[in-house]
Amino acid sequence: MSEAVLVSLRGVAKRFPRVSRRSDRARALLGLLTGRSLPPATTVLEGIDLEVRRGESLGLIGENGAGKSTLLKVLTGVLAPTEGEVRLSGSVAALLELGAGFHPEFSGRDNLRMAAALMGFAPGELEAREPDILAFADIGRYIDEPVKHYSSGMVVRLGFALVAARRPDLLITDEILAVGDEAFQRKCIRWIEDYLDGGGTLLLVSHSMYQVQKLCRHAVWLERGRIRASGDVYEVTQDYLAAQERRIAREAGLAPKESAGTLAGVEFSLSAVRINGNDGEAPVYVARGDTLAIELDVRTREGRTPVAAFGIVRADGTPVFGTTSEIDAAVVRVTADGLARFRVELPDLALLPGAYSVRFHALDTEGLRIFDTLERGFVVRGHTRELGVVRLAHRWVDPDAGG
Amino acid sequence: MSARAYLLLLRQFIAREFRQRYLGSLTGPAWALLQPLMLLGVYALVFVHVLRVRLPAGDGPADAVPFLVAALWPWTAFAEGLNRAVAAVPENAALLAKVPVPRSLLVIAPLAVTFGVHGVGLCVVGLALALWGRPFDLGGVLPALVAYLLLAGFTLGVALLLAAWNVFVRDVGQILGQALTLLFFLSPVFFTREMVPEAFRVAFDLNPLSIYLDLIRAALLGTPVNLVADLSKAALATVVAIAMGAFVFRRLSPYFEDYL
Repeated sequence: MSEAVLVSLRGVAKRFPRVSRRSDRARALLGLLTGRSLPPATTVLEGIDLEVRRGESLGLIGENGAGKSTLLKVLTGVLAPTEGEVRLSGSVAALLELGAGFHPEFSGRDNLRMAAALMGFAPGELEAREPDILAFADIGRYIDEPVKHYSSGMVVRLGFALVAARRPDLLITDEILAVGDEAFQRKCIRWIEDYLDGGGTLLLVSHSMYQVQKLCRHAVWLERGRIRASGDVYEVTQDYLAAQERRIAREAGLAPKESAGTLAGVEFSLSAVRINGNDGEAPVYVARGDTLAIELDVRTREGRTPVAAFGIVRADGTPVFGTTSEIDAAVVRVTADGLARFRVELPDLALLPGAYSVRFHALDTEGLRIFDTLERGFVVRGHTRELGVVRLAHRWVDPDAGG
Repeated sequence: MSARAYLLLLRQFIAREFRQRYLGSLTGPAWALLQPLMLLGVYALVFVHVLRVRLPAGDGPADAVPFLVAALWPWTAFAEGLNRAVAAVPENAALLAKVPVPRSLLVIAPLAVTFGVHGVGLCVVGLALALWGRPFDLGGVLPALVAYLLLAGFTLGVALLLAAWNVFVRDVGQILGQALTLLFFLSPVFFTREMVPEAFRVAFDLNPLSIYLDLIRAALLGTPVNLVADLSKAALATVVAIAMGAFVFRRLSPYFEDYL
């Protein structure tokens, strides 16, 4: 393992044993003692390969139950992996459950001593840093009171102060601390930013893609215990959001049912649709600012001129924009064998990164009745943290500049 | 984890265990001495004065007290230490679920504290008896101490084994109390092997605790004894117990979290 790699996971799998029946435990005991493998169980993680390098910031994203917490537990050594190898070099501190190891009967000072030993403070190190820790935690005389008399905010303060004093090689955190009052939260965020500027390594678990994009350069998307995607933070988070939106739309039944356009007897049907020349069903990737080309081939039965329509919707079903060849008075030519071909170009695509769909429609000559509908997805990518659906033209002006 | 870091943590765990035990009690660590003293008083009353159990050496009730003292404290350390150590892993389940802690610390710390306080208790009571003119051989302190430490090692081996089993099958903790009561009467605390009926002597022979308790008592009371042979036997039993306990614990402890 090279110096720069702080954490390395190779083929890590975690399966929780089945303990529903009484005899399961005894059987597991005997099995482990005799060195036999355990019976199959619930798989929580499977085939995880992961590396975190020094100075890198990594976002860990995924739905609830995807195995994020279990992965962190395996990574920090709380859980032993069922398979694979976890290598950790350097100190790790998790801000996930600050003060988790505190004993309620003991004073804050006593608990600091134990927590410091657990975090690997050298002897004397805690004493040297205690004034800093107490100043950061700012809990006053409570430091000598039993922790059970603390408010939850005070526990977090003390826990964070210790981590801050430790300056771990790897910091694990989630949602940037939704506890403590606002002043303390600001203090924590300032510290984290300072920590990152100083070359610290961060592993952020978050449901806020905005936060992940702001703080991380790389992201790992965990889905049902496996790594679904990893790499550049924008690509991974955008794919993740797209999948989320599609799932939400599917669950809400918003996606239109594709009508069987090729059925005999239908006067106008879509024989082919393409996005940027791609006629497959897999989502097409488009860079923000590029040209989006939409093509529809409409087959007409009786040589009548069809109207073509398209609509762009966000993956969650929100309409963004739509128009028809009739509204735009586009020129239509029908070939001798009854095929009308349409091509629409959207230059300098203003859509913000995310997952979208194009709905293609074939309408009758009057543009009144929809005869056929197809839907294809595409994904807009780009390194931007702007919010919303489309990028509206805007500029920042100096309010004090005369004029 | 480096040995140095492990020892630093062990110190913290022992300090915490010690404070936790006497936290909030008025007399603090004095309880460690008071508890066996009161037990001794009860036992001395019942066995020596009410039931009139006869000792092999001297016949007076005065001799019975040192006889009891010499074995009661080591026994208490063994039983109490084992009980606490086996319970320690489930008790600290919340800690284990969140912080990476070497599991063995949870077993070692309560044992160290238990053997520590009862060791001090034995010294204090022994010294008091010796000053009082009772037969307490101060020259036997060193071999007794070695035997006491070997007993601690033996207890550690048994505790590692049972603590690991207890995580998987909680019945171990439930049975332990009863098993210790039975073992108490099959160990040479109130009576020696020679005082029990022939049929029960085999239990004393098979009970490894006999080695330690007989040795400690003989050393402290100045009874002639083959020190080298007995200490070797004790050392062997300790090594076997630790080897077995460590093997089982090493096998099982990575999976504790799954079964806690």
